[in-house]
Amino acid sequence: MSLKRIRLLIWKEFIQLRRDPLLIRLLLLMPVLQLILFGYVVAVDVRNLATAVVDLDQTSTSRKLESAFSGSGYFTITQHVAGENDLRPLLDSGTVKVALVIPEGTQDRLARGETAPIGIIVDGSDSQISAVGSGYASQIVAQFNTDRIAEQGISLAAPGVDARIRVMFDPTLDPINTMIPGLIAAIMMISLMAIMSQAVVKERESGTLEQMFVTPIKATEYLIGKLTPYAALATAQMLLVAAGGLLWFRVPFNGDPWVVLVGLFLFMFTCLGLGLLVSLVSRTRHQAQQAVMFIMIPTMVLSGFIFPIQSMPALIQPLTQVIPLTFALEVLRGAFVKGSGFSALAVPMLVLAGFAVVIFGAAIVATRRRIAE
Amino acid sequence: MTDATAHQEPAISVRGLTKTFGDFTAVDGIDLDVPRGQIFGFLGPNGSGKTTTIRMLTGTLRTNGGTARVLGEDVVRHPELVKRRIGYMSQKFSLFEDMTVDENLKFYAGVYDLPAEKFAAQRQYVLEMADLVGREGELTRNLSVGWRQRLALGAATIHEPELLFLDEPTSGVDPVARRQFWDLLYDLASRGVTLFVTTHYMDEAAHCNRLAFIYRGRIIAEGSPAEIRADHMEQRIFDIITRSTDPVLQWLETAPGVDEAYLSGASLHAVVPTDSPLTGASLRQRLADAGFADAEVEAVDPTIEDVFVNLVSRER
Repeated sequence: MSLKRIRLLIWKEFIQLRRDPLLIRLLLLMPVLQLILFGYVVAVDVRNLATAVVDLDQTSTSRKLESAFSGSGYFTITQHVAGENDLRPLLDSGTVKVALVIPEGTQDRLARGETAPIGIIVDGSDSQISAVGSGYASQIVAQFNTDRIAEQGISLAAPGVDARIRVMFDPTLDPINTMIPGLIAAIMMISLMAIMSQAVVKERESGTLEQMFVTPIKATEYLIGKLTPYAALATAQMLLVAAGGLLWFRVPFNGDPWVVLVGLFLFMFTCLGLGLLVSLVSRTRHQAQQAVMFIMIPTMVLSGFIFPIQSMPALIQPLTQVIPLTFALEVLRGAFVKGSGFSALAVPMLVLAGFAVVIFGAAIVATRRRIAE
Repeated sequence: MTDATAHQEPAISVRGLTKTFGDFTAVDGIDLDVPRGQIFGFLGPNGSGKTTTIRMLTGTLRTNGGTARVLGEDVVRHPELVKRRIGYMSQKFSLFEDMTVDENLKFYAGVYDLPAEKFAAQRQYVLEMADLVGREGELTRNLSVGWRQRLALGAATIHEPELLFLDEPTSGVDPVARRQFWDLLYDLASRGVTLFVTTHYMDEAAHCNRLAFIYRGRIIAEGSPAEIRADHMEQRIFDIITRSTDPVLQWLETAPGVDEAYLSGASLHAVVPTDSPLTGASLRQRLADAGFADAEVEAVDPTIEDVFVNLVSRER
């Protein structure tokens, strides 16, 4: 491998990039446009939120309250845990999005005509879930109180159950807070995949790819020379989106920058690999465009980037698990909003690493074989 | 192998070279010898295996069998030993169209690690050869075909290769530019460069020292143009000039004693067996009897194209 030739290839790539003023403008305009679109225009219905219940009262009232939640359709009770201390890891890892805490003595307090406080904890890292989820929770509790008064024919000054809703991780509830980390990953995916595949296909169309492999340029040198400029470009875009989010939309950053960097790094290899794979199956630049669209549309819809996965039909949900962006979003949103560290995000990190190894590896092997074939 | 013995070997020596793509055999066990310092013409219709052969000889395509020695090295096993010493120019000219003339040259010079002073000299030579002095900063996509073709030749030879592969280098280029281009190729050959040229322009075949015909992956004739004409042409050719080309062609195709008839340039060629009693005069008489009074008939020497048409029709 010759560093000199790699440098030469990178130099060539940057010259070609510079000669395409439209591309540069698109690359800088796209994140800004998406930032505005997703930052200001988000509202979605949320159903079947995974919910954990801590029932410390263990009475008929507490069970009735629980079934009011599960019967609403907005919450699906997936876990019963013994104490409040067990909730944190569940929320951290995103296993549950909502927790219902019914303190000991709730039934007794109600019987005495006192106000009985219950706790509802909502995961604020996904703004749609937290906004919509806490709204539904208050409605359900209000309905529960109305029903109870009607049932018992009593009229009391006390409101009955008092829902104390606490939103974890993110008190501001602005959709942009979850959108910015998502955008960083999504933009990275689009630009790397689209532009890289275009660049390789263009070289095949014009015959320069063939020409270069008659020279001493090796497949590895070519790949490094090709990937480096696009990785640099993607980094610039990421910084632009991050800066726009942190400075303009004032998205709070609570996490460890290393978590973000490692997550993005792993995801970047996945995207580069996808770009290469697209370039391998495409004969023309037009085909490459179509192939990118073919990958991007399900990715956008199913990754949880726009629509929360929790509100998707159960049949569709397994599909979201084969989409790399799903896990990139989990890592980035976790790190940005919840401040989750490596241990809490171990599962999505490992899955991302798996995608990176498999997709990037396959792309490199296939490209090298194609070049040698 | 030392340099001295390597130089005695032919530029290209191929035995039983084979390439298959799935069920399709693109190159079917061909043998080739290309002496050094010659212009070797590799002829064949589209899809006959010309480009596949070149790609194997340049070390960019794996082989499925046979041996290929290029400049004394085993190109199948050690393509890297060959790549520095060969050049390649394709019919696409393969320049970076969004880069300038100078940037293209700089790139290819860098790829071969040319020292600065060597590059300066080669750059000057290429610019003059391609008639691009003063246009160094122009994007190559804005150059017209003839200039791009010559620049591509310059880029492919910037490292002074001993052997240059040219894959249909004149396709899509006007006749004047084609002639100029062949002058450049002669110039390279006179400096000792071996040229391996594919073309489907039969008139260009006559420019070559040696020829090989490839058809459906197999070599069906090889030798100097004169040898090929002598060895593979057992028939005689009549050149027929008439205004009613189409009816005459139809008549000839069914005429007894005529093996084959086809268009050749503006006239028709009729092929008859060597022992045929037909002469120019008698064929003319028969044409006149058939109602083609204006037909002029002349016995001619077979051209390379005649040989080729003949070989292909025999293969079928």
